[in-house]
Amino acid sequence: MPDPRKKIAALIRSLEDLRLHVGRKDLSVGEENVNAQLYFPLANACLRGRAVLLYGGMGANKTTLVNLLGSSFLALDLDEVENLMVTGHPEQTEEKIIGFLDPRQWSREGSETSVLWTPWARSRWKLINEINRFPSGKQNLFLEILQKRKISYAGQIIEPGDTCYFATMNPEFSATYPMDEALLDRISVCVPAQQPDFLAGLALAEREKSVRELARSLPRFTPQEFDALPGLVASVRLSSRVELAILCLLRDFTLCERAPGYDKTQLSGARPSLGLCPGCHYYNNPESLCWQVDEGLSDRVRQDLRDFCRALAFLLNRDADVDVLRAVAPYVIWHRLTPVRSALERPPYYGARKLAFVSELVEKSINRTLNERSEMNLLFSQAVDGEIDTGKAVQELSAFDDPIARMDFIPALERMR
Amino acid sequence: MSLKSFMDDAYKGRTRAKRLETRRGEMVFSLEDLAERVGTKPSRSDVEALVPGDRTLIMQLLAPTQEPKKSHQMLWGYLSSIAADASPVPLKLAARDYAGLELRHGTLILEGTGHHLGERMSGGKIFVQGPAGDYLGQEMSGGGIVAQSCRDYALRNMRGGFAVLRGGARNYLGVGNYGGRIVLRGSCGERAGWLMRGGWLRIAGDAGDYLGLLMSGGKIVVRGQAGKRAGWRRKGGTIRARGYGQEAADGVLGLD
Repeated sequence: MPDPRKKIAALIRSLEDLRLHVGRKDLSVGEENVNAQLYFPLANACLRGRAVLLYGGMGANKTTLVNLLGSSFLALDLDEVENLMVTGHPEQTEEKIIGFLDPRQWSREGSETSVLWTPWARSRWKLINEINRFPSGKQNLFLEILQKRKISYAGQIIEPGDTCYFATMNPEFSATYPMDEALLDRISVCVPAQQPDFLAGLALAEREKSVRELARSLPRFTPQEFDALPGLVASVRLSSRVELAILCLLRDFTLCERAPGYDKTQLSGARPSLGLCPGCHYYNNPESLCWQVDEGLSDRVRQDLRDFCRALAFLLNRDADVDVLRAVAPYVIWHRLTPVRSALERPPYYGARKLAFVSELVEKSINRTLNERSEMNLLFSQAVDGEIDTGKAVQELSAFDDPIARMDFIPALERMR
Repeated sequence: MSLKSFMDDAYKGRTRAKRLETRRGEMVFSLEDLAERVGTKPSRSDVEALVPGDRTLIMQLLAPTQEPKKSHQMLWGYLSSIAADASPVPLKLAARDYAGLELRHGTLILEGTGHHLGERMSGGKIFVQGPAGDYLGQEMSGGGIVAQSCRDYALRNMRGGFAVLRGGARNYLGVGNYGGRIVLRGSCGERAGWLMRGGWLRIAGDAGDYLGLLMSGGKIVVRGQAGKRAGWRRKGGTIRARGYGQEAADGVLGLD
């Protein structure tokens, strides 16, 4: 089997050459710059059971791009891939989305209940188009599917196998519904889809054939190649630095001195934006992340960060190092958080540039872990491994004014004593 | 793999200790140096986290030989407030732009003319010895300002506190206010109290045209003469004046 990575590179070139996707290179991974809107869906196509949400205004090439990728990875015509997706509107029913009872069974004696599953339910490439135009009840349906990775209807269950999930979403306007927070937490990555810039507009103007015709020229993957991708991604090794930076990143966002068990995800009612933090030692310290966002991060984020770091490193044929984590982490985290207004509304964010704000927080946490936390981390690890006395370690760690040392390390060592 | 080996592998022997609070009180050499660390438009807390604890050093930053660059004016403003908050006696400074920005306590005595003086202040007092520029006390929510006079857009979007202007004010005084008290001993230009939703504006002299335009709350008293179209499209609040120009709105009141 030829290297699927070469075919992916050919697919990327074809998308640009055929003017099917021309986006600005807004994702910097070390020295390399790539287009986030293209590379995150590609990374998702190399994984299974993860969901990528493309967020942007109408006509930003969200749905078409995912369908074009589906056409290439599943080796289907664009029309056939378009038949696989479901599109949100208030009149969508469960029957239209996943399936309905086969009426012919009532005329057959002794037959078991059978469900006619929709192409979307059977597919391993699931696109939920305009997800925020589904009312909250229907959004819960997708929550269940993303949670269980299988679909049930009238007591019958279909397991389509390892699936790539995609969703698109418009900014809030009159016909949209608020997105359920639990559903957002199950979205692995959220990528802004931007309108073509000046040069991209010029390039798109050169497209003379229809998208359907051009889509036939894209490289096609064989089922063996498509199925081999998750294994190839899993073989990419994450360095200890990346693993450590991910752990500390999660703790930086989740630890809260005033929350039960120091766990911000336990908060209900009281939140940093509702006045929880004034008087706290860490409040207003630009180095601390805890007071700047309302939510903590769940363990799903850790898994998503690890998987997408591996997938992006695989796509770019490089090590999954800290540069990859710096590029991936903001997109994995930003849709799961609500920054406090006083922090987000100041320049240069003006209340509107949430991704940039979260990127800055992520950068602070990673830099801090790599440059400033070494001594306390080594101290803690020595105490855990029994190389030094835990009492002495607690005493030394108490000199570190760091939320992880205070709320994670010291309580853990005290439990060990 | 033991946790120690994991950490050793992550750091590869590079150990550097730095504590979360070590940035507080670091040596800051100049406004440029401070701007490099916090950016040119930081919040007050960003500046506070870095500002030196030694008062002499703050005063050295506040009194550069040259006027701060435009991009450093807000930093200078924050520093002036932080210094005034910490000072046990009233602090005398040149009235440069943004002086007293987000002042919380303490007293500032400002000499000269500057724009944006006392912007977003929530406490303390500012005495401006001379005429103030545009945007005096904009968005203030507490504390007080006493100035000789001011230019356009003074005391805009005020939510609380008080201001006394011993002379006159130019156009757009107290635009969009929903709290606070303003006393003007001279006269003011056009559109004073425009879009006012609350608060109190007392003018000892005359007021220009369109006094209380579109106001929906609050109280305006003019001891002298109001210009034309006073109270135009007013939805609430009260306007009282000794006399009115042409086309004054219905419901405006006279003074006894």
